[in-house]
Amino acid sequence: MRPRRPLLRIVSDRLHIGLVSAVVILLAYGSLMVWTATVTMVAHTALVQRQFIGIALGCLFLIGAWLIDYTQYKSWTGPLMILLCVLILSPRIPGLGGTASGATSWLEVFGVRLFQPSEPAKLLFIVVLAAVVAEFGGKIERRPDVLKVAGYVALPFVLILLQPDLGTGLVFIMIALGMLLVGGLKGRWFAVAAVLIVVFAVAGLTTPLLQQYQKDRLLVFVDPSRDPKGAGYNLAQSKIAIGSGGMTGTGLAAGTQSRFNFIPEPHTDFIFSVLGEQFGFVGAIMLLALYLALLSATLSISASSRDLYGALIAAGLLSMWLFQILENIGMTIGIMPVTGIPLPFMSYGSSFMVTNLAGVGILLSIWSRRYGTGL
Amino acid sequence: MTTFREQLKGRFAVLGVVVLVVLGALAVRLWSMQVIASTQYTAAAQNNSTREVSLPAPRGRILDVKGRPLVTNRPVMNVTAPSSISQDATLVARLSAAIDVPVDEIQSKLASFKQERLAPHVLRTDVPLAVAAYLSEHSADFPGVEVQEAAVRDYPFGSLAGHVLGYTGEISEEQLAATSTVNASMGDIVGKTGVEAFYDKVLQGEKGFRRFEVDNQGRVRSVLAEGAPIAGKDVRLTINKDVQAVAEKALADALVEAHRQGFTKARAGAAVVLDVKTGAVVAMASVPTYDPAVFLGGVSPAEWKSLNDPASNYPLNNRAIMAAYPPASTFKSIDAMAGLQAKLITAGTRFTCTGRWSGFGSQWAKWCWLHSGHGSLNLTGAIEASCDSYFYNVGKLFYEAPGEQLQAFARSIGLGAPLGIDLPGEVAGRVPDAAWKKAFNQNYPEYQQWVPGDTVNMAIGQGDLLVTPLQLASAYATLGNGGTVIQPHVLDAVLASDGTASIVATTTVISDAKLSPANVATLRSALVGVTTVGTAKSVFRGFPVSVAGKTGTAQVNGKDDLAVFACYAPAVAPRYAIAVIIEQGGHGGSVSGPAARQIMSYLFGKKYTAIHTTDVSR
Repeated sequence: MRPRRPLLRIVSDRLHIGLVSAVVILLAYGSLMVWTATVTMVAHTALVQRQFIGIALGCLFLIGAWLIDYTQYKSWTGPLMILLCVLILSPRIPGLGGTASGATSWLEVFGVRLFQPSEPAKLLFIVVLAAVVAEFGGKIERRPDVLKVAGYVALPFVLILLQPDLGTGLVFIMIALGMLLVGGLKGRWFAVAAVLIVVFAVAGLTTPLLQQYQKDRLLVFVDPSRDPKGAGYNLAQSKIAIGSGGMTGTGLAAGTQSRFNFIPEPHTDFIFSVLGEQFGFVGAIMLLALYLALLSATLSISASSRDLYGALIAAGLLSMWLFQILENIGMTIGIMPVTGIPLPFMSYGSSFMVTNLAGVGILLSIWSRRYGTGL
Repeated sequence: MTTFREQLKGRFAVLGVVVLVVLGALAVRLWSMQVIASTQYTAAAQNNSTREVSLPAPRGRILDVKGRPLVTNRPVMNVTAPSSISQDATLVARLSAAIDVPVDEIQSKLASFKQERLAPHVLRTDVPLAVAAYLSEHSADFPGVEVQEAAVRDYPFGSLAGHVLGYTGEISEEQLAATSTVNASMGDIVGKTGVEAFYDKVLQGEKGFRRFEVDNQGRVRSVLAEGAPIAGKDVRLTINKDVQAVAEKALADALVEAHRQGFTKARAGAAVVLDVKTGAVVAMASVPTYDPAVFLGGVSPAEWKSLNDPASNYPLNNRAIMAAYPPASTFKSIDAMAGLQAKLITAGTRFTCTGRWSGFGSQWAKWCWLHSGHGSLNLTGAIEASCDSYFYNVGKLFYEAPGEQLQAFARSIGLGAPLGIDLPGEVAGRVPDAAWKKAFNQNYPEYQQWVPGDTVNMAIGQGDLLVTPLQLASAYATLGNGGTVIQPHVLDAVLASDGTASIVATTTVISDAKLSPANVATLRSALVGVTTVGTAKSVFRGFPVSVAGKTGTAQVNGKDDLAVFACYAPAVAPRYAIAVIIEQGGHGGSVSGPAARQIMSYLFGKKYTAIHTTDVSR
């Protein structure tokens, strides 16, 4: 046991300055965007308050995850896998579930909304899959190994598709791809995965596996004129908002697209459209720069992890964020299909916020323990 | 430890590259949207959130010559709704019952694109107060439906002068394409016919506008700019409301009289009263007539069908300028003047009427209407008796004379071409000549040759000669004033907003036939003879003002005879010229003549009692 040191020293030594600064600035930026996106809404004050409560709660989770040695999770892989499946299924359990706006599933107890289980499920999925993949020591070549890993990916993925929540399902797939890349899955298995994804996509569009609105969203992405007032409307309005922002934007709380409700879900899924309109290209590039800082910090933590397990968890978080950034921003500018995936650290929503901050906490836990198991 | 780090290095590099590619792709796309294509997105955003509605300008009034309003504006309440309610069948049904408009009509109005984008569709105009109150009280049951104030045309005297005034309606696509008004748009109310159309520019004023920002539901969030409309100017006509009313009554009475005389197919006709000195139209009546108010808020399809049904005798037509008729014996005055001016005849020229005229050989013989014959007549006698044979002879003289002098004279007093009255739709009438006949019968070579009978027929106002009632009145004014053809007009003045005349109509002389005063006097005495001892003597018996007039009865194939009367009065220094034509009315002397007297009685302040007489002449 090393001698005790002052808490301040411990903090400054264990803190990844790049990660924490990126997250703090992102949170500030996001709060500003939630404020301006909701400014014309009746529930403006309540929404902003709830966002801050989410951040505060998230910080508690962050600190908790930071304090816990992440390697502890390894021994809980089995129970965590069960918890993961229960979480995914929970909205369907009578007395526990609730839904809002299509596929947004909630965990409800006695009618009180607790959280969206799909959010912590992402985190659990990363932690569980990291343990499974880490077993193979950085090389996944043998077919039984591949099948085992595939099973751990497929089970939650299928369950989440049945919810149905296509967006989160895609996040799971992207997380898995990132982690398997770091975990040493051989190239040809990636090819198999790619084929499977294509097969799933075709099957999804041609069989009743997907809900009609989900098919519509995907097809509208291919051909926005299919439905100019429905699913295509959101996309068109979002693009108009972002494009009209120009170089420097219309200014905070200005801009007709966001003020006059042309942007759908301006504080959640389409918060980037508000940002694009009000802060223009400069504001958007600032956000991308912040994300670059976040992702490179995550990558550096992954690369400096004491063990493969930590590296895999960090890689999973990186993949999750990267895909969500790509999907969310891409959707608002018309290069990705419209799904209900929020923008990390920006979009309103406490389940999402808490999950992401808990992820940051795990990253800090990996970083703090890069030389040893103690904090 | 080191080995696993080394092993992972390449994989982290791949992850790093993926991160850079993804963020780079997003940045490139954002650059293209926000920097390169920004203007078009800005325009789209503006188009999204900016709306402009026009504020209609109050339309100018139309006044009679004494300033009495014939057309004014009246505030009404309109029921409007956005097109989106068309999907709500129960709401439409409920609304249909409340405003008493059939569901089909509501749906077709909601579907109409003939209006500005944001303007709600007007489903019914001029709803009673009770209905407006009901809709307001039950607004929760009628989401989107609104009661809006608007102004519509008001006609204090109903259909009076309806043909001159014209009606208004929504601008048509052709009108929109042709208009020079800068901010004209679908849904604009414009004049469609009559003065409303001819002086539309003056009457309509300038629209104002209001530009505002709307949200995604179309709700107004702020007003960006506003421009007040400029009211249209009032227009004062030469029409005298009282004379007009008498003229319309005279036509109606003439139809009754025609029916009484057995000409039961008489349905239509026209009367024109001109000021001989100025060309001002004092009255212009046409029957059957219509009520311009039926066009308010859009004429219903059933009503439109009935207005255009041949069985209704085309009530929308202003027969005074849009219909051309054979002038029949009223043309004999023109014929006589032409002969006098051309020195083919003199006042003393005599011809003998045996009832049957064979001036071009017995195989081409023609009857005078009086088969027993008039005997030997001079010009005055021939006009008084309306002798056909005499004018067959005059026609023969013209045929034998060089050139087409009769046609030339007819044109010189304003026939054969529109007079250019300030009303839309005036037709030219027709003065037939050899060139016309050749062109008209281009597919029938055997009928292309101008033959003696053509000139002879024309000489008694039959054949292919056609005049409008306005041309006939104008021609008699010209005969009475010494040959000056004055452009008839209905505009007296355009009034400025303070009521003073800003533009005053001036007397426009089209041409001067330079009639010799002696010839004018000769014809005058003959025409006075018509109303004192001739074919119209019973019509004007006891009339204290000397009237120079002529009866006419035209044969029309397959129809009852056309009854014509034309005159100017007083005979010396004439003030008014009048033409009355009744389709299938029977005889000019007994049907149209009394109508002319009825009008003149009013003009000269005399009492009028109905005249029942007979006339067998033509």
